Amino acid sequence: MGAVTYPDSRVAEFINNRVIPVQLLFDSQPYASMYNVKWTPTILMLDDGGKEHHRIVGFLPPEEFIPGLLLGMAKVNFDRDSLGQADGDVEKIINSYPQSAAAPEAIYLRGVIQYKETHNPQPLKEAFEKLRREHPTSEWSKRAMPYGLL
Amino acid sequence: MADIKWIGDLETALSLAKSEGKPVLLDFFNPN
Repeated sequence: MGAVTYPDSRVAEFINNRVIPVQLLFDSQPYASMYNVKWTPTILMLDDGGKEHHRIVGFLPPEEFIPGLLLGMAKVNFDRDSLGQADGDVEKIINSYPQSAAAPEAIYLRGVIQYKETHNPQPLKEAFEKLRREHPTSEWSKRAMPYGLL
Repeated sequence: MADIKWIGDLETALSLAKSEGKPVLLDFFNPN
């Protein structure tokens, strides 16, 4: 990460503007035990209470890392019921990084967010249809299969 | 080239996260 992804100007700008970045040695205690760190790189997205919401283990290139961070931010917002902010994060993934590894989960999560906001099941059905059309082999397409029956 | 402004301790980062309304990105790294 330190050789390729973090020096990328897009990544650095994103991190400096959108999150509070912390680096700790992999064996830094008590945190390595607290967060069950077994391999590096291990990158966590935490809320301001220190609770983990998303984990990336292993290298990601810049074009995958930024959508991975957006997904983590969406999960932080979703878990604290900030649905509007979570929707903005996943929308950015879907529109700006549609071929990224984070995109299928973002499509699924967007369906869930919009269902929770409206209590209308149509966004769940649309998420399934978009996943089947654009990411048919994704596990998220399989997870959304029940929504195809709505 | 922009450098990431890493913080070296988690407690400071959590305090900043509260005041700035941002999540914390915590990177456990191996320097070797």
